Amino acid sequence: MLKFIAKRLVQMAFLFFLFLSLVFFLLQAQPGDITSQFLDPTIPAEVQALLLERLGLDGSIWSQWWAYVTNFFTGNLGVSFSQYPKEVIDVIAERIPRTLFLFTFATIFAYGLGFVLGKRLAWRRGGFGEASITVSGVLLYTIFYPWFAILMILLFSSSLGWFPISGFLTPEFWRGAPFTGNEVFGQLLLSFTISAAFIIGGLILASRSEERPQQRMFRRAGYIVAALAFVLFWALRTEMRPFAVDIIHHTVLPVITLTLIAFAGTMLLTRSSMLETLKEDYILTARAKGVPDKDIRDHHAARNALLPVVTSFILGLAFIIGGGVVTETVFGWPGIGSLLLQATVIEDVPLATGALGFIGILALMAHLLVDILYSVLDPRVRVQTGN
Amino acid sequence: MTDTRMDTAEGRLGDSNSHAEAPILEVNNLVMNYELKGGGMVSAVEGVNFNLPRGSSMGLVGESGCGKTSIALTLIQLAAGNARVLDGEVLLDGIDLLKLDEEEMRQRRWTDVSMVFQGAMNSWNPVYTVGEQIRETMDIHWDPKPTAAEARAKTEELFNLVGINPEMIDRYPHEFSGGMKQRAVIAMALACDPKLIIADEPTTALDVIVQEQILEELKKIQHELGMSIIYISHDIAVIAEITDLIGVMYAGKLVEQGPTAEVFKRPRHPYTWLILSSTPSITGDRRQLAPLKGEPPNLLDPPPGCRFHPRCPYATEKCMQEEPPLAEVEPGHSIACWHPESVPVTLAGSTE
Repeated sequence: MLKFIAKRLVQMAFLFFLFLSLVFFLLQAQPGDITSQFLDPTIPAEVQALLLERLGLDGSIWSQWWAYVTNFFTGNLGVSFSQYPKEVIDVIAERIPRTLFLFTFATIFAYGLGFVLGKRLAWRRGGFGEASITVSGVLLYTIFYPWFAILMILLFSSSLGWFPISGFLTPEFWRGAPFTGNEVFGQLLLSFTISAAFIIGGLILASRSEERPQQRMFRRAGYIVAALAFVLFWALRTEMRPFAVDIIHHTVLPVITLTLIAFAGTMLLTRSSMLETLKEDYILTARAKGVPDKDIRDHHAARNALLPVVTSFILGLAFIIGGGVVTETVFGWPGIGSLLLQATVIEDVPLATGALGFIGILALMAHLLVDILYSVLDPRVRVQTGN
Repeated sequence: MTDTRMDTAEGRLGDSNSHAEAPILEVNNLVMNYELKGGGMVSAVEGVNFNLPRGSSMGLVGESGCGKTSIALTLIQLAAGNARVLDGEVLLDGIDLLKLDEEEMRQRRWTDVSMVFQGAMNSWNPVYTVGEQIRETMDIHWDPKPTAAEARAKTEELFNLVGINPEMIDRYPHEFSGGMKQRAVIAMALACDPKLIIADEPTTALDVIVQEQILEELKKIQHELGMSIIYISHDIAVIAEITDLIGVMYAGKLVEQGPTAEVFKRPRHPYTWLILSSTPSITGDRRQLAPLKGEPPNLLDPPPGCRFHPRCPYATEKCMQEEPPLAEVEPGHSIACWHPESVPVTLAGSTE
């Protein structure tokens, strides 16, 4: 397994090099440069030349490309034109946790909900319930996403007033706050990570244990300890708590909207994959063995139906780029997607290149994660990876 | 549940004496149709009767679509959703399986009747090890549940019995060859000491050499453990090799049944006679094979009278109007035919 991961990491580094080069040349190819957008034309020509030299923009495009790519690997992404003299890496570091947070939750909810619903739909085929859920699934799957997001804001924020209209926190509330938004956010991420670790630990113990009641015990213990850890974590941070609540309040609507948009695809895929699986001979064998219905559904059918769903996740990763830009723009979420859009519009080339580079890193990491997951789920793949 | 297991144990012990006469399986007048969308019924099994004595094996043979697999699936109540059992009894050790509700039947599957399916290649779930899948049957049906060590010991014992290296227990199905998968399927079928095993085309997907090995294995196991087995196959040579009794099916009906050796020596029903005439024999006379002409009837609208009459060389007016009952021609050997004496003693086809 370690060999497999190491091999993948080397492949990823090469892939990333290609990706970054492509991004670099694409952004260079757009019309306009720093002189047309950011430099005051009244500055004397010698001064302009000096500035370009200091920013490393005086060489040929090939030398600039090589300098950029090699610097990227050392963590030097240059200086943002629009937020001069802030370093690009700092701007991105501020934004990236917010994007990760939003999309991790939306992805977990969307795939979890989609899988559970799809599995049940296939199992109880026919009837009004199945038809109506399938039709609403298709509707959500095909709907024009930005329009749907605006509709959600109109309904839940404007009319009902349940959630804030946009943003990541309430500025008036934070005026004079003893913490910065990112400090609180960091603590939120930390607490969620701790909880997730307990849940995953419980699931691992459950999968290793032999007896059914013992498995259930480990799973439940994982959930309970995770919840307790979360409560305890925030019980100890009384001062920070209201600010954390403010951030979570802002997170709810974007997560719900993203989930609603994304779960339908998973649901429909799980449903059809499950229907295929149910025709397999080993399902008939399981029935003949006297396996209870619920176990046939969950252990025999759904476990196999899961494989194409995981594959679809890889293909769906592109959504993080496209969906990220749209979601963050519509909800005024200051993440890396909206950063990319701003940087591109105002032609802040270093910032846009850096943002795209990091989106690429996120996508590659998710890819690696899914590859590992897949090899755990499908023994036929596991053997081929030379285990 | 506990009670039935006790009964089972006693039944086994008393096998050689008191219970010896009662057959393990009695199928009485079984009628099963498939309901079609938009009305109409396909008559898949029509009035089938047979008994299987304890510890013996019986083969059901016939062309594709003659109702062999339908009978098997009806016995374990796993026929497709549109199957309707219209009449009949299936008495397994005196209990009518058709009268059990879904949950009772579920508990009896694998402990009372286990199955070796057609195409063992696909009988294994690809994401679990073979050992896990065998253990699953013990977890469900053993009372009390086996510990990990007990389950492993039993699986190793079964693997040795069917001739697989016990180290393969923790391997996944895709690491098994076709023959090994089939052997493992047989091992799984034995995991809960069933009263009856139904083997539906157990060797059809295998090449002839592996087929031969598997059949030998099955025969050996049947004799060693005193199992009662029903074999289902379209391949009459397979049935001839391993069964004590044979039932020949045509278009949903049993047309001839009797001891395998007797039926092969002297087939009485024209259909049996014709299929044997179309099969080459290695030891018998060399002769030109006589192919069986025509096709099995459409079961949506079966022909009146004897269902075989359109293809039968001896059919008369009576055959087209009246259905022949299954009647004994010799003790233990019966056929459903109006002209039991018309079939020649020798097979059809000119000898060279």
